[in-house]
Amino acid sequence: MDAQNMQKAPTVMKESKNKIRVEFERTPLKERLKAKFISTFFLQKFVWFIFRLVLLIGISYVILFPFFSKISGSFMAPEDFVDVTVRLIPKHFTLDTYKAIVNDLGYWDAFINTFLLSLSTALIQTFVCCLIAYGLAKFKFKGNGIVFLAVILTMIVPHETLRLSLFMEFRYFDILGIFKLLGGGVIESLNVLPFTDINLTNTFWPLIVLSIGGLGFKNGLYIFMLRQFFRGVPDELEESAYIDGSGTLRTFIQIILPLSIPMMITVFLFAFSWQWTDDFYTTLFFTTQKTTLMPDIISIPKSLQTNYAGQNLYYSAIRNTCGLMIIFPLIIMYLFGQRYLIQGIERSGITG
Amino acid sequence: MTNTKPAVKSAKKKKRYASLDKRKARAGWFFVLPFVLSFLIIYVPIIFESIRLSFFRIKPVIGGGFELIPVGFQNYQEALFVDPDFAQTLLTGLQQLAFDIPAIVIFSLFMAVLLNQKMVGRAAFRAIFFIPVILSTGLIESIDAQNTMTEYMDSASGINDGSGESVASDLVSAIDVERLFANMKVGKDLVKYVADMINNIYNIVNRSGVQMLIFLAGLQSISAAIYESCQIDGASAWETFWKITFPMISPMILVNGIYTIIDSFTSESNQVMTFIAKVYTQTDGNVLSSAMSWMYFLIVMLIIAAVAGVMSAYVFYQRRD
Repeated sequence: MDAQNMQKAPTVMKESKNKIRVEFERTPLKERLKAKFISTFFLQKFVWFIFRLVLLIGISYVILFPFFSKISGSFMAPEDFVDVTVRLIPKHFTLDTYKAIVNDLGYWDAFINTFLLSLSTALIQTFVCCLIAYGLAKFKFKGNGIVFLAVILTMIVPHETLRLSLFMEFRYFDILGIFKLLGGGVIESLNVLPFTDINLTNTFWPLIVLSIGGLGFKNGLYIFMLRQFFRGVPDELEESAYIDGSGTLRTFIQIILPLSIPMMITVFLFAFSWQWTDDFYTTLFFTTQKTTLMPDIISIPKSLQTNYAGQNLYYSAIRNTCGLMIIFPLIIMYLFGQRYLIQGIERSGITG
Repeated sequence: MTNTKPAVKSAKKKKRYASLDKRKARAGWFFVLPFVLSFLIIYVPIIFESIRLSFFRIKPVIGGGFELIPVGFQNYQEALFVDPDFAQTLLTGLQQLAFDIPAIVIFSLFMAVLLNQKMVGRAAFRAIFFIPVILSTGLIESIDAQNTMTEYMDSASGINDGSGESVASDLVSAIDVERLFANMKVGKDLVKYVADMINNIYNIVNRSGVQMLIFLAGLQSISAAIYESCQIDGASAWETFWKITFPMISPMILVNGIYTIIDSFTSESNQVMTFIAKVYTQTDGNVLSSAMSWMYFLIVMLIIAAVAGVMSAYVFYQRRD
């Protein structure tokens, strides 16, 4: 402050028509640095900066380290697991584990099947959840609160509880007893259909039916998130669309959906990756080995089965490699999508 | 909030806009129709079936099919009093819940506040912190649960990453912390809690991704003007946190508390849930597991109701209108 007071007033000179030059005496560098760096304010900030950095890096390490250890373990040969000197860097570098998983366990089959399943359910879930959430957020009708409570209920009831009856429902699938009626289950003479119920297990249909109804895995959470987001969208947008003569559905598709693309990408990311790594529904509805899905490839490939001292460790490394190969597509997707994930969540402005 | 606006308008000019309101209500039903239909056709029967089945016993019939024998509350009685492990598992599971919920909520709030500040590499840190949300679920969780390898490698690095209870690899031993706190006259339980929390950090980090996202969203919605006026009035960062951030974020704490309860009791790594799944496979789809999970569900519902009741008394809602 003192140094500034001692300064001469800056002189302004006109260089050319559009240019001026201002000349003034600058405070010496030493003074400036002193004022900036030797103060309690700066010290406080600096200490906080270091503390924060250490903390964040530490926790990032905690998150990332298991991945590193899994990756390094996946390249190790069986000898490395009994070698005490080997920790993270493999001595006998090998790709056998990956090769065995791809060849013996049918990785690509599982990949394609799971990809189709996750993509179809995630697309349907994203759209259906948008629809439901929009209806809940923007329209006042009798029973709005009850429907929302029902959504919350589907979120709260653990699917483990419904395991048996979920299986039964889709093993003997029937809509309100219509198939049973038409198939002659109630009245013998009425025999339009050759069956009384459909076995939907071992197909994609159970999950697709659940997704269409907004009952899929964690759909309650998506509906909740999207509802909060749509509540933050100003009503004026829709009102102006209505005045211009657009119907509600058209307004929704042409005005609201384009607006909510970041949020939709967020929901899609969640739906896709949670379906991808899901092992509840897939093991429940896919009981035969016909369709290979991701949960099926977590096992020890035949060509790698051994019997030696480091067996347990080696097998667990193989299982981890399976896990790595399962999440590999998700990692790539996450790298591209994480920007939207955070953006979408931030814009949702969830407020209690 | 925004919903009230058209209603007010229609109240003023009731006659003219009544039909529009009706049309809008119909449109609303149209939007939620897929959910309502499938909820009524699929979900409600499933729930009733599950509850009904818990009062029956399945008896396979020779030549395929099965028979249902009504047994009343026998399944429940058996689960509670005959099964040697269920009651014990339930108790430890609930204890675990009581430990996890405050830990996860506090941790995720703290991290959200940190990640909300402007700093170098914020985007990178955020990206890293939300990795578990996407990647450490379902299958990966179940692989990790029976993972001996990371444990082995960690014995060098000293972080217990949730895979085992190797005491040697604890990041902070309770004794060290106890020594540290001995002079501060803090209760022993608190010390143990903090030490446990640090040792379980991997678990906690992995499970607080969504909560962090929700807190971040909440922090973003607090207007910067409030902080600015606080700064002008000379409040310190500490005061600002407790007087502004904390009350403003308190609805989110409620939401996150409930979400954490739901998430941790429906997750696959939950002890009680794995126990129930084991019973399900052991008894070949017998209904004992249904009875057990409904009992567990009821208990957790009671906990949720209690937590929501207590917390909502302290939650501060900002009046926007």
